[in-house]
Amino acid sequence: MRHVGGAHRGLDMWLLQRASALYMAGFLVAFLVLLLAAGPMGYETWRGLFAPMYMKVGGLLFVTALLVHAWIGLREIFIDYVHCLVLRLGLYLAFGILYLGCLAWSVDILWSVK
Amino acid sequence: MNRQMNRKRPFFLNLLAIRLPIGGVVSILHRVSGAALSLLIPILLYLLWRSLRSPADYTAVAGFFSGGLGWLIGLGLLWALLHHFLAGLRHLGLDFGLGEGRDRARQTAWFSLALAIALTGLIGLSTLSGGGA
Repeated sequence: MRHVGGAHRGLDMWLLQRASALYMAGFLVAFLVLLLAAGPMGYETWRGLFAPMYMKVGGLLFVTALLVHAWIGLREIFIDYVHCLVLRLGLYLAFGILYLGCLAWSVDILWSVK
Repeated sequence: MNRQMNRKRPFFLNLLAIRLPIGGVVSILHRVSGAALSLLIPILLYLLWRSLRSPADYTAVAGFFSGGLGWLIGLGLLWALLHHFLAGLRHLGLDFGLGEGRDRARQTAWFSLALAIALTGLIGLSTLSGGGA
């Protein structure tokens, strides 16, 4: 159990947190531009935004970055406030599973738009 | 004076008794907004799924956010996203050594706090007068 608390993964997490933040920031700005350029919003316009392959791939990368970012952020909060190691590891695992499920779901959502 | 300060030193972090500097306020709100957004990811995915599924689902999602409690929840989400985004950019700048001086750090903290609130307010007002999506 010596390294299980994660004393050696801080730098990887730190870098991933910032890399995922930068990708999400870029994607969100690009998405906002596409949204504003699409004109009056409605179902067909909204769905049309997600039709191109670049939006599916870019969107899946966004969701992946979001889930990684959220998991690392929650991990930092758990390290600060959850001092029982078993409980903390249980929370890492629970959110890991939840977020993997979200990733699979987002593939289905994005590729359901023809 | 030092002796008196030491005697009154709190033993624990009573959030109501300590006065955080503005950078601390922006930082804790960055954490709170991040935690809230993280916990809401499954619900946000659900909303994305519904909005793309059919015209009726899209109308239901848009209708939820267009007025009343849903409008307030939408603005709360928007603020959390904007604050997390802007405070996050500020923290990225600090990582690269930008704006580390005390005065500049305070300015950027106030700026990110105010801009997130102002943008949320502006978008809130525009959706009020625009009559919804």
